[in-house]
Amino acid sequence: MNGFFDTLTADTRIEGPAFEVSRGSIRFFCDASLDYNPLHLDDDYMKGKFGKTEFGGIIMHGMNNFGLITRMLTDWAYEQGGTHRRLETRWVAPVRPGDTIRPLGHVRAKQVTAKSRWATVAVEVRNQRGEMVASGEAMVEFPPEPAG
Amino acid sequence: MGQAFETDFWRDQAARKIWDDIVPGEPRKTLPYELTLEAIQKYCRSVGDMHPLYFDEDYARNSRFGGLIAPPAIHILLMFACTPADDWMRSPGTVNAGQSWSYNIPARPGDVIRLEARALDKFIKRERLFVVHDNVFFNSRGQVICSGRGWTIRPV
Repeated sequence: MNGFFDTLTADTRIEGPAFEVSRGSIRFFCDASLDYNPLHLDDDYMKGKFGKTEFGGIIMHGMNNFGLITRMLTDWAYEQGGTHRRLETRWVAPVRPGDTIRPLGHVRAKQVTAKSRWATVAVEVRNQRGEMVASGEAMVEFPPEPAG
Repeated sequence: MGQAFETDFWRDQAARKIWDDIVPGEPRKTLPYELTLEAIQKYCRSVGDMHPLYFDEDYARNSRFGGLIAPPAIHILLMFACTPADDWMRSPGTVNAGQSWSYNIPARPGDVIRLEARALDKFIKRERLFVVHDNVFFNSRGQVICSGRGWTIRPV
């Protein structure tokens, strides 16, 4: 386990499973997150304009992307004794029912600090057309094993 | 959870602050929330995350965590669970532009979660009204679970 951090390079890729977005998955995320913003529920409301933006129909919660990225990172980190410590994301494009999205990551940098070891991971989510819908950066900690 | 959660976000709209009213630095009202295993697992299912640390008590007990935990992104649920119905985070049309979170220790089933939250900044960019919110979640022992910021575009 201790050697895993040493094996990380800029070529290290992480991939999460595909996630099929449907009206049902969006509704379930409303119930699970308690976020019942009509952006995610009400097609009539979404026919309106939001400042300069028109969505035309309900959209997936941006934080659903966040949850999928976190799932990818924890699946990767737990197995290697690592801990998911930070995630910063921006939503680039709306995700709609019928889309299939997948989180991806690659190790961007490594840093050893006085007490631990850290990997910085560039993350993104892409839809079935290959379009980026979310991007960001994460940190995963790989504590050194005790000496002895 | 115990208390009923208002799922009609229009209902308390008149009581909520709009962009003009929001004072950066002013604390938001928050509510304590008991995080149940049921709520954790419901969130996990909504993103297809079936890791045994959240579902298998024996596996979790023998792990480095010593018991069942919540995934880091449980703050997605906690944000709405810990804020009252008249909080501006629930204003219909609030668009989430991005968030950043730091994780200290995992939340666990049975934790009574406390949130300290405020607007940190507000600004206008490309004719859009932004508010930055700042949040820290604590467990029953006063330990920081996670802290984070979000950028939202306010409805006009």
